[in-house]
Amino acid sequence: MLVLTRKAGESIVIGNDVVITVLEVRGGQIRIGIDAPRDIAVHRAEIYRQVMEANQAAVRSERDSPILRTTAESLTRLRSQPDSRRGDPDAS
Amino acid sequence: MTDPEPQVIVFEEGIPGFPDVRRFVLTDIVPDGIFQVLQCLDDPAVSLVVAVPWLFFPDYAPELTELDQAGLELEREEDAVVFCSVTIDPDSHTATMNLLGPFIVNVRTLKGRQVVLTDSDHPLRAPLPLAVI
Repeated sequence: MLVLTRKAGESIVIGNDVVITVLEVRGGQIRIGIDAPRDIAVHRAEIYRQVMEANQAAVRSERDSPILRTTAESLTRLRSQPDSRRGDPDAS
Repeated sequence: MTDPEPQVIVFEEGIPGFPDVRRFVLTDIVPDGIFQVLQCLDDPAVSLVVAVPWLFFPDYAPELTELDQAGLELEREEDAVVFCSVTIDPDSHTATMNLLGPFIVNVRTLKGRQVVLTDSDHPLRAPLPLAVI
């Protein structure tokens, strides 16, 4: 891993179009500003990792589970009741 | 009449956990179309059960960042289709929905992106109402 030391107000350029700026250092926290092209998604690592693991679990998950069928049936029944709380006139 | 060819949705950045897959199609798995499968065309092993979140969580309000809107070329809110993955826990026989990382598709361009709602409190595993045996 490349390690650089920066002060507040200083930046790092990655490639031609990503700029990371240290905005503020206070207590144990550092505020970071990121300028990146629109097609580059920026995430907090721990949240990204959670979504990654959730996707992997979803891909491993059962396709033809009876839970899906019974849930769909319950929902369809609920939506077909005219006075249900989700009484959407377009839902048939 | 034959069914039209399924429309191919392109996730240009892949999805978290599967960075190298791009092309997906949506297919119904139960006749009433409440649950669908997001099937990858580039890797047949990658497929997820998905559903429209508002069927189960009417108050769900994901907020897209400007970056996500720009990445999806979304100009109008009504061009966005939103669906979330559904995971079955085989031990507890429960189903949960990922409300933290919804899939958004621009229906005009068929570009998709799984957004990560970083600054929200949306749960990663929201128990699916009605999903009880």
